[in-house]
Amino acid sequence: MAISSATKAATDALSANRAPTSVGAQEVHKWMQEFNWDFKGNSTKYPTKYKMANDTKEQFKLIAKEYARMESVKDERQFGTLLDGLTRLDAGNRVHPRWGEAMKVVSNFLESGEYNAIAASAMLWDSATAAEQKNGYLAQVLDEIRHTNQCGFVNYYFSKHYHDPAGHNDARRTRTIGPLWKGMKRVFADGFISGDAVECSINLQLVGEACFTNPLIVAVTEWASANGDEVTPTVFLSIETDELRHMANGYQTVVSIANDPNAQKYLNADLNNAFWTQQKYFTPALGFLFEYGSKFKVEPWVKTWNRWVYEDWGGIWIGRLGKYGVKSPPSLRDAKQDAYWAHHDLALIAYATWPLGFFRLSLPDAEDMAWFEANYPGWYDHYGKIYEEWKALGCEDPKSGFLPLQWLAEKGHTVYIDRVSQVPFCPTLSKSAGSLRIHEYNGKKHALTDDWGERMWLSEPERYESQNIFEQYAGRELSDVIIEGLGVRSDGKTLIAQPHVDGKNLWTVDDIKRANCVFSDPLANFK
Amino acid sequence: MTTNKNAYNAGIMAKEGKAFHEEFFAEENQVVKESEAVVLVLMKSDEIDAIIDEMILKDGKAENPSLTVEDKAGYWWIKADGKIEVDTHEAGEMLGKSFTVYDFLVNVSSTIGRAYTIGDKFIITSELMGLDRKLTDI
Repeated sequence: MAISSATKAATDALSANRAPTSVGAQEVHKWMQEFNWDFKGNSTKYPTKYKMANDTKEQFKLIAKEYARMESVKDERQFGTLLDGLTRLDAGNRVHPRWGEAMKVVSNFLESGEYNAIAASAMLWDSATAAEQKNGYLAQVLDEIRHTNQCGFVNYYFSKHYHDPAGHNDARRTRTIGPLWKGMKRVFADGFISGDAVECSINLQLVGEACFTNPLIVAVTEWASANGDEVTPTVFLSIETDELRHMANGYQTVVSIANDPNAQKYLNADLNNAFWTQQKYFTPALGFLFEYGSKFKVEPWVKTWNRWVYEDWGGIWIGRLGKYGVKSPPSLRDAKQDAYWAHHDLALIAYATWPLGFFRLSLPDAEDMAWFEANYPGWYDHYGKIYEEWKALGCEDPKSGFLPLQWLAEKGHTVYIDRVSQVPFCPTLSKSAGSLRIHEYNGKKHALTDDWGERMWLSEPERYESQNIFEQYAGRELSDVIIEGLGVRSDGKTLIAQPHVDGKNLWTVDDIKRANCVFSDPLANFK
Repeated sequence: MTTNKNAYNAGIMAKEGKAFHEEFFAEENQVVKESEAVVLVLMKSDEIDAIIDEMILKDGKAENPSLTVEDKAGYWWIKADGKIEVDTHEAGEMLGKSFTVYDFLVNVSSTIGRAYTIGDKFIITSELMGLDRKLTDI
């Protein structure tokens, strides 16, 4: 039977140029440049004041098939390790108790950050016009969903295998009373998803991910390993394998606006605000968790900060962009002051407010104190003596009725909450950067603790109105607040939080009630 | 004390107590300083450990003597001036199996610098790709 001329032409063409039986993923990526997104009707929740160019790239040339294969291999390795080998090794119970408690904070808080990053990268997908950049953001949305599940799984794993699951199993229920929650949501939620889309990218990708995920998700694994935790390195290093693409997304966002003359008007101010916003919380919180949440110390937090934040992020990211007009953040000097001292300030307040937490804390012992003094000269006279006095007064013993929060009030060491960062601050004991200043707006007083947050507040006071626990619970007795805020274990009376990690002599709401600790709002009393 | 300026504890990081404090707060260190270095963090695995031993510490170090590799428990920390490049086709031949850039990315935990893939190669460079010059295409 004769074949048609069209079939013959096709057959001849295939004889001369055989159809490929396989195509490399990067070749597929190149062909896909022919396709593009339809931008008609493209809208975003928060538009950007920047003009984003449409020729920026996704640096890893992802296609759906390779992305899915890559991520499935990551998950198979991670879950295989956790659910097989590590379970047989009883890894969940080989963690030093101090570190097991620190991980209650790290994994729960990171989960919240990852969850908000889903929305943040979706918002950037809306804002970008370059097809490849959109592709990068789209993969990031999927990554962030994966990371949220991974952080949730760390808590689930520890809930099953760690000897004190309270706090790993349902930390979020204490979010109303916990003094660390609102600051975390300021950096991980508000900073990522509220405001100008490019400004959010600078917060999330250029500062949050390119700078602070390195100590938070990479360096933390060395501390974990040193303290017997084989679970966290397996999961967190796997999370970070996606973060490099997010850092590249942030870099390409900067590339996309680099040639916009108007960008020069905003970029340095936005970068400085983002750097200060992120460091104001991460610097003290990570230093506190690493140094006070460990038995075996890897290195002083200020060195970790110097390496990852100052030398590498500052030099390799920000320093290299100098010729394109990006300047060293003017808040860096104060950030360095915080890197040295702010985590010690936070540790003191965290210990003073321990009943409101969802984790157990322990006082520095003699070995810790010697280490702190050697690495932070002057630490013992300023902080160490206070811990020794609290211990002598029985702060660990539920029968003592001694609460460090009352000691602070009796000694005139008032604790304020910074309105912008939501980080607690005690002006009479603080060695970090800044000083107390009080403003009034709409008939309400606001405590601010540093120049950079004050500037942000003055330009947008309506943005920072979150009520803090002292305002919310003024006049209320502490044990009532703990019960209302779900800070008790399943027996309904033992606190989730404890001022030691002994596993016995646990404080109950009755012990707290005997101390008769009543909240007062320092702003209401401020003259 | 190490003489490689890219070592994990080089320079100020080797100092302790008051000596560290003095340099950390020195006036000249209150602004960021441009760096030509790049940092690569590789999560340990069978494949990555072999790539470190057989490629990065051999040819990689020979081609770029500023390169340093340090064992940080669950990961390898690598720092070098200029760039670090890994040819995954070559890695596949060494490992005795198919190994693409996407297989390599499974264990690339962090990058400080501009990282990208091109064909079979993973590259991290101090160059400002997209600004100083266009991002290389295949």
